[in-house]
Amino acid sequence: MSETHAGTHAALMEASPFGIQSKKLAMWLFIASDAVTFGAVLFGYSFLRVGSLDWSYPFKFSPSIINAFIMTVILLTSSLTMLAGVFAAKAGNKARCLAWMGVTMLLGAIFAILHLREWFHMFDEGWGLFKNPLGGSADFGAGFFGITGLHLTHVVSGVIALAVVALGYNSGRLDKNHVETTSLYWHFVDFVWMFVFPIVYLMNAAR
Amino acid sequence: MASEREPGFKFYVGIWIVMICIAGLEVILTYQHLPGRTFVGALLILAFVEGGIAIMYFMHMKYESPNLFWTLVPITIFVLFMLDHIWPDALRLARMNMFR
Repeated sequence: MSETHAGTHAALMEASPFGIQSKKLAMWLFIASDAVTFGAVLFGYSFLRVGSLDWSYPFKFSPSIINAFIMTVILLTSSLTMLAGVFAAKAGNKARCLAWMGVTMLLGAIFAILHLREWFHMFDEGWGLFKNPLGGSADFGAGFFGITGLHLTHVVSGVIALAVVALGYNSGRLDKNHVETTSLYWHFVDFVWMFVFPIVYLMNAAR
Repeated sequence: MASEREPGFKFYVGIWIVMICIAGLEVILTYQHLPGRTFVGALLILAFVEGGIAIMYFMHMKYESPNLFWTLVPITIFVLFMLDHIWPDALRLARMNMFR
C-alpha cells in the first residue's frame, strides 16, 4: 500500500524546470532581490551626486585608491578560493574543501579589516554620515558610508555563513550542495563590489 | 547542479586574472583625464563586463539550465531599469516640485 502511495506521489512530482535543488533556486531568488537592493542604493547615490553642485573628490591615489584596489584583489581572490572549495567538495575531498573555505573566510576577514581601517582613518579626518571636512556636499558621507556599510555587512554575514556551513559540512550534517549554494552568496558579494569600486571609489578619486 | 560541461579549475584561474586586469584597467583609466562622460561610460561598461563574468563563470550561470537565466536575469534588469527611471520622481517629490 505504502509503495503504491510512494509511486503515485513520485508520478505527481514534477522535476524542477531549472534543474537545480530548491535551496539553490532560493539562493538565486535572494541574490536577485539583493541585487535590486544594491541597485536602489547605487541609483540613489548616483542621482544625489549628479544633483549636487559641490561634490567632493576625497580619494587620493595613495592610500585610498591603492587600498581599494588591494581590497578588490582580495575579494576576487576569495571568490577563487571559494571555487576551489566547491571543486574539492564535488570531488569528495572534505579536508581540502574545509581548508579552502577557511582561506576564503580569512580573506573576507582581511577585506573587512582593511575596510574598517579606512573608515576609521576617514573618521579621524572629520568625515561622517553627515559631515564633510572639505566643505562640500554632506551627501557624500551618507552615500559612501551607507553603500560601503551595506556591502561590509554582506561580507561579514558571508564569513559567518561560511563558518556555519563549514562546521555543518565537517560534522556531516550538511553536504556539498550546501557548500555550493553558500558559494553563490559569496560570489554575489564579489559581484556587488565590481560596481561599488568604480562608482564609489574611482569616480570620487582626486585627479 | 551545474552540468558536466563545466571547465576545470585552471580555467577559473584565467578568469580571476582577467578580472584583476579589468580592475587595474579601471584604475589606469581614472588617471587618464578623460572627459567626464567618456570616463563614467568606460568605467560602467568595464563594471558590467566584470559583473557579467562573475555571474556567468564564478556563479556558474553559464553552466546552469537556460531556464534559470531567462527567468531571473531579464526580470532583474527590468526592475533595475524601472528603479533608475522612477527614482528621479522620488527626488522631485522630496523637493515638493511636483509639476516641474
